[in-house]
Amino acid sequence: MSQNVNTTRRRMLFGTAALSAGALLTACVSNQPKDGGGGDAQQAAVADDKPGKKVTIGFAGPQADHGWLKAINDNAKNRAKKYKDVTLEATEGSNDTAAQIGQVETLINKKVDVLVILPADGKALTQVALKAMRAGIPVINLDRAFASAQAYRCWIGGDNYGMGLNAGHYIGEKLKDKKNARVVELAGLDNLELTKQRTKGFDDALKNYPNIEKVARQAAEFTVESGQAKMSQLLQAQKNFDALWNHDDDQGVGALRAIKQAGRDDFLMVGGAGALSAFQEIKQDRGVLKATVLYPPTMAASAIDLARALGQGKGIGGMAEFEIPSSVTLYSAVVDKGNVDQYMSTGFR
Amino acid sequence: MPPPLLKMTGITKHFPGVRALDGVDLTVAEGEVHCLLGQNGAGKSTLIKVLAGVHQPDGGEILWQGTSTRLKSPTAAMRLGIATMYQELDLVEHLSVAENISLGHEPTRAGFVVRTRSARRTAAELLRRLGHPEVDPATLVGELSAAQQQIVSMARALSHEVRLIVMDEPSAALDPDEVRNLFRIIERLTADGVAVIYISHRLEEIRRIGKRVTVLKDGRSVADGLPAVSTPARDIVALMTGRDVEHVFPDRSPGSPTTATPVLQVEGLSREGEFEPVTFGLHPGEIVGLAGLVGSGRSEILETIYGARRPATGRVFVNGEPLRPGDVRAAVRAGIGLAPEERKAQALLMLESVTRNVSVSTLSRFSRAGWLDRTAERTAAQQATRELVLRPDNPDAQVKNLSGGNQQKAVLARWLLRGCKVLLLDEPTRGVDIGARAELYAVVRGLADEGLAVLLVSSEVPEVLGLADRVLVLREGRIVHTAPAGELDEHRVLDLVMEGDHSS
Amino acid sequence: MTQSATAPAAEKSAPDVPPPRRPALGFRLDMRTLSLLGVLAVLVVVGGVTQPDSFLDTSNVQLILTQASVIGVVTVGMTFVIISGGIDLSVGAIVALASVWATTVATQEYGFAGILFTAVVVGLGCGLVNGLLIAYGGLVPFIATLAMLAAGRGLALQITDGKTQVVTVDGVLKLGERDSYILGVPPLVMVFAAVTVVGWLLLNRTTFGRRSVAVGSNAEAARLAGIDVRRQRLYLYLLSGLCCGIAAFLLIVLSGSGQNTNGNLYELDAIAAAIIGGTLLSGGRGTITGSVLGVLIFITITNIFALNNLETAVQQIAKGAIIVAAVLVQHRTARE
Repeated sequence: MSQNVNTTRRRMLFGTAALSAGALLTACVSNQPKDGGGGDAQQAAVADDKPGKKVTIGFAGPQADHGWLKAINDNAKNRAKKYKDVTLEATEGSNDTAAQIGQVETLINKKVDVLVILPADGKALTQVALKAMRAGIPVINLDRAFASAQAYRCWIGGDNYGMGLNAGHYIGEKLKDKKNARVVELAGLDNLELTKQRTKGFDDALKNYPNIEKVARQAAEFTVESGQAKMSQLLQAQKNFDALWNHDDDQGVGALRAIKQAGRDDFLMVGGAGALSAFQEIKQDRGVLKATVLYPPTMAASAIDLARALGQGKGIGGMAEFEIPSSVTLYSAVVDKGNVDQYMSTGFR
Repeated sequence: MPPPLLKMTGITKHFPGVRALDGVDLTVAEGEVHCLLGQNGAGKSTLIKVLAGVHQPDGGEILWQGTSTRLKSPTAAMRLGIATMYQELDLVEHLSVAENISLGHEPTRAGFVVRTRSARRTAAELLRRLGHPEVDPATLVGELSAAQQQIVSMARALSHEVRLIVMDEPSAALDPDEVRNLFRIIERLTADGVAVIYISHRLEEIRRIGKRVTVLKDGRSVADGLPAVSTPARDIVALMTGRDVEHVFPDRSPGSPTTATPVLQVEGLSREGEFEPVTFGLHPGEIVGLAGLVGSGRSEILETIYGARRPATGRVFVNGEPLRPGDVRAAVRAGIGLAPEERKAQALLMLESVTRNVSVSTLSRFSRAGWLDRTAERTAAQQATRELVLRPDNPDAQVKNLSGGNQQKAVLARWLLRGCKVLLLDEPTRGVDIGARAELYAVVRGLADEGLAVLLVSSEVPEVLGLADRVLVLREGRIVHTAPAGELDEHRVLDLVMEGDHSS
Repeated sequence: MTQSATAPAAEKSAPDVPPPRRPALGFRLDMRTLSLLGVLAVLVVVGGVTQPDSFLDTSNVQLILTQASVIGVVTVGMTFVIISGGIDLSVGAIVALASVWATTVATQEYGFAGILFTAVVVGLGCGLVNGLLIAYGGLVPFIATLAMLAAGRGLALQITDGKTQVVTVDGVLKLGERDSYILGVPPLVMVFAAVTVVGWLLLNRTTFGRRSVAVGSNAEAARLAGIDVRRQRLYLYLLSGLCCGIAAFLLIVLSGSGQNTNGNLYELDAIAAAIIGGTLLSGGRGTITGSVLGVLIFITITNIFALNNLETAVQQIAKGAIIVAAVLVQHRTARE
């Protein structure tokens, strides 16, 4: 939908409510980004860029109510646009399991060639994915895994455990010469499995460094507001520590705000996921944020590549295999000042 | 001779502060239509509820077919075969006819699956027996006419094994044709040996179907088992009214002013289905009473004058200025005050203090730019409540802790404080005990003497006659008679309000 | 309870001079307020004992009060709505919408004033819609504000497109930082205090407050007493919207950003705080003091848990238990 249409609709929706303030407010709604970002990632090309057999890819993701998910959608769409032989049937994202099942069913009925699904809830969408597989539509399972390996042809996703591991090792190396080093952790939503995995990886990595102790852990909710709230309490609780790992760069915006408000700069901070704002902060190197461990949204672009290859019956380049692998786990790279420029274009807002 | 179906002796029932039943005797034989008469508040409803097992009597004995019985619960009464049709039909509008009839004892499969078809068959059969096969068991009750709902209610009563049916004013909402049909059904029931306790205000109905009459007054049965056909109407009315409370009314001021121009003029005011166009005036210092039965449109007229209901036709003038119809605030601004019938639901802020209840209509007088002067508010409210001798003399007392009479005084103080010119009183002594009533009457008369015009609605005829200067008699939404209170007596008024349609 | 103390006195004394009970300031600490203060005192002791270093210092008091500010302002508005017999489920969504609308690139071009103005006007606008739907459209408050919740969240998401809108206006950012504290008091806390005081005065000293209570106590009686019940309702939802707008601005200052996830479950937190503070969910009774104490109790609990490094799950269980306990205690005191 174009920005223009958006603005018009908003004006209609709120024309009555805004009353006299209407003019200013309407103008204020525009959110035109000043520079590009988040979208198309120029990565190493896959097997063949040349137009081949026409492939229709069905894409079903959750509602993009969070920067990372938004980036997932954009990556998928922009990647698909790049190929003349790919038609993308993308659904309105939904967080409602029932609604998402319905959307996938619709895509099955439309007889798309390949399905890419990022389920709102992996377990709940397993059945409908199985149904697609049985109907002869290969499914690429993006990130949140289905309950059965029969429900997908290929799984591609991030490495939550590896994220924690790499964050832990990065911090460990930085602090390895310091006696009695203290570390705190600002986790994400605690009722998600991935949060537990990240924490496990982090703890496992720290075990390699007997001089480091994790002294506190609080869970935020992946939102700026909760990041600010939880971080300010962590800062109050721990008057001195040497390093902080924050699971998510979105809540990190709030965490950084809390750190600034508390006037603290006596520790190093590592982020998670790979938001543009975090990259910029790292590049400027003026605050506590020194690095972030990736959970790259570019996986959605890769998923489109895999889906296209599957649809065209081809393998992927750079490997000897005829078939594409059944599972692809992405590496959670550590981005710091040294390599941040390389990743800048993949940062999401 | 077999024992009577039901014999109640010396039934008493107390509620906090009220002696609702004070020795009631009632004997009902099998297959008899027994009429129960009495003014509002005489104890009829309480007696019905004792019979239905809703209230437990404090004293007295109930013999059912000769054996002493306790009606512990509505279910117990139902099991004996006593069914009650309340005046306020207790049907569920959003359920079907069949569902209403079988409510509480639905035919089920495996204990919980309702067998809809079986319930419908039973309902259809009952309706046929009642001579109304045209009522479809599948219709929602809310879509039926009042008369049809009555039939459904009766069918529900008959869906149990019934020996005695209590009918509380079953004809109140029916037109003459429907009443005739009701009588046919009653005759058929009694022919089967079912007894009926029939409550009505209409004497001619009692004469038509009643066999014997029991009259209640002030919670006592003053006559038990009079022959319904041969007892003169005058005697029955005398039994219903013979009371000795006249002395509680204050003296009328000499020469009540009727010559001045009216402060309230009501012209051709009407509401569809509630009351026909009424026209009358109200003079300063005058108390006018509206006498009539429940459902005669009394309260509706008051609320329409006050703007709480929108009139179909007509206008209301205060000091010659027309009021915007259907606008309470306009009426209040013009100087009208209402003490509504349902004090707790319509007038009082129960959790709030006396002061706040009294000042609620006058807040702007004690405020500048919305800022309250609480000292002024409190002083003024206290002055008003003291003028009416409200007890306790504590402006912080919570209204919910006051007695009924003092709650009413709080409402009156509200309008006294506002300085209103016209006071509309709807059943001002409902829920007020006898002693406190006298005090209230004095207060109202005192307000009138200070120049207020008062319009009084009461279903207690003596109250209207004792307090009002002039009486308007209402029947079925029409003013049928107007006279100075001194020219009327209770019998005459009761004759006027109870006369049937055809006899007027 | 306060009553039983005065009633006998009034009966005894001659009808002439029962001394009107008017304590200085007219501010009386009833049992309810005292019990809330007691709970708070217990919490302070628990916090002080478990974390003597970090709990009992100035910066932690500043922290607790700051974190109470945003939800506190929302709760003041909510208290009025509940006292009047209504409910506002849309407060969280309004905070979200106002905070993202006020932090778009375009709004930020107007600087400090633009952000503040937009947040407040969006809050008022949503309140106006709620009020019109409820007072004049005849919708049940639950439904009308539930619709506003859905629409507000949706619109907020549409505006942000799921992105975090970082504030770049220096004046706004500075307001949330240590340099702006005046005599150790953060500006956010001052706003919270001001809203509390104004709310208290509005409820206890003005015709507006009196009418709100009357409407909540018995809407039909209020109508028949000549109060314009519909207009009063409209004003009440406008007030709640205004509070949400102010809270959104505070949240922007606090978090330095606007996000469509802002104000998550504020409606429940605000309702819970008001109920704990003694506001009757059925309307007609409630105090600003109680609500604000309710907020402080909640925030203090969270703070103590965080300082003791307890898990989220434990925090949530305890929070639920405390709500139930507080309401039970109140039922008891109310009955006595």
